[in-house]
Amino acid sequence: MHIPDGFLAPTITLPAYAISAPLWVWAARKHFGPNQVEALPAVGALTAVAFVLQTIMIPVPGGTSTHLIGAALLALAQGPLVAFVCESLVLLVQALFFGAGGITALGVNALAMGLLGPLCAWLVFRGLRRASPRLAALLAAYLGMQVSTLAVALTLGLQHHLSPAIFPTPFPVMIAAMMLPSLTVAGIVEGLYTMLALRLLERVRGKAAS
Amino acid sequence: MALAALILVAPSPVAHAHEVLHSIERGKAIAVKAFFADGEVLAYSEYQVFSPADPRIPYQKGRTDRSGYLAFVPDVPGAWRVKVTDATGHGLDVVVDVAAVGAQGPSSGHPAGQGVVASWAFAVRPILGVGVIAALFALLVLLYRRRRSAK
Repeated sequence: MHIPDGFLAPTITLPAYAISAPLWVWAARKHFGPNQVEALPAVGALTAVAFVLQTIMIPVPGGTSTHLIGAALLALAQGPLVAFVCESLVLLVQALFFGAGGITALGVNALAMGLLGPLCAWLVFRGLRRASPRLAALLAAYLGMQVSTLAVALTLGLQHHLSPAIFPTPFPVMIAAMMLPSLTVAGIVEGLYTMLALRLLERVRGKAAS
Repeated sequence: MALAALILVAPSPVAHAHEVLHSIERGKAIAVKAFFADGEVLAYSEYQVFSPADPRIPYQKGRTDRSGYLAFVPDVPGAWRVKVTDATGHGLDVVVDVAAVGAQGPSSGHPAGQGVVASWAFAVRPILGVGVIAALFALLVLLYRRRRSAK
């Protein structure tokens, strides 16, 4: 899902950085300051898990593969801004050390996978958790995954519209290729993972509190 | 009658012009294989090759083969850019340095602005990534605790 370097023009990457950069600073000051030192080990562990999840490719019929994001769990457990910073860190490490995604596309990827998806998941969870916390977590992560995928697809579609030479795949082809695995496989697995992991976290928290 | 037969039998210059010939020239093309970190190839994916002589208009376009390969024959030395686009938004943007015209192979190839992703990286990738993230968070916690204890 990560957009690599060279697939987006500065007309898209620069505004994305202009939006992301102040959000990174604000979120880091608010959630990663000295007052949050007790929460940082847990946040770091969830960030590391998100990184590992994104390296596991799930084969999808049609000769392609998909992967989880893991940021919905961070949003549900720690808040959407924490998820945004942590997912941005995951994307940065992937871009710097492993050539996945890219530095120029970091702002776009962070907004799509780190902010929009997790924010949607967080809102859905908050709206539905009283009815059924488990179902709310599953649905929240599922919808968060769809929002992230759609945001990436729309960005690439916009790039194709602006300059097909930079991104040659037409929007109808790309949206189908991206959304089908997301709707049928990745979203469901992300939902199940988030639901189970959140339950586990709550149990651990409960035991620690008692 | 004899003249008409001669015209029919004689090879026409127009027919010659439409005849397509070929030559097989081995060792002139540069092959690039596109694959994910887990070894899965980018089969039948769209690609563009940009010559250093014209970085804007593609020198060659097409789709990778079943094994994720594309091949091109460079006509000038320099940095050739190869872009492979998977329909799912993943892809490759690499620079292939061609030392001389018709070179036997590239002198080097690396992702534009990034480090090389070797196949071994797939195995150690999660460990390295987790190590980097853990180190960053541990550093932050240590820093804050040291500050707190200093006060």
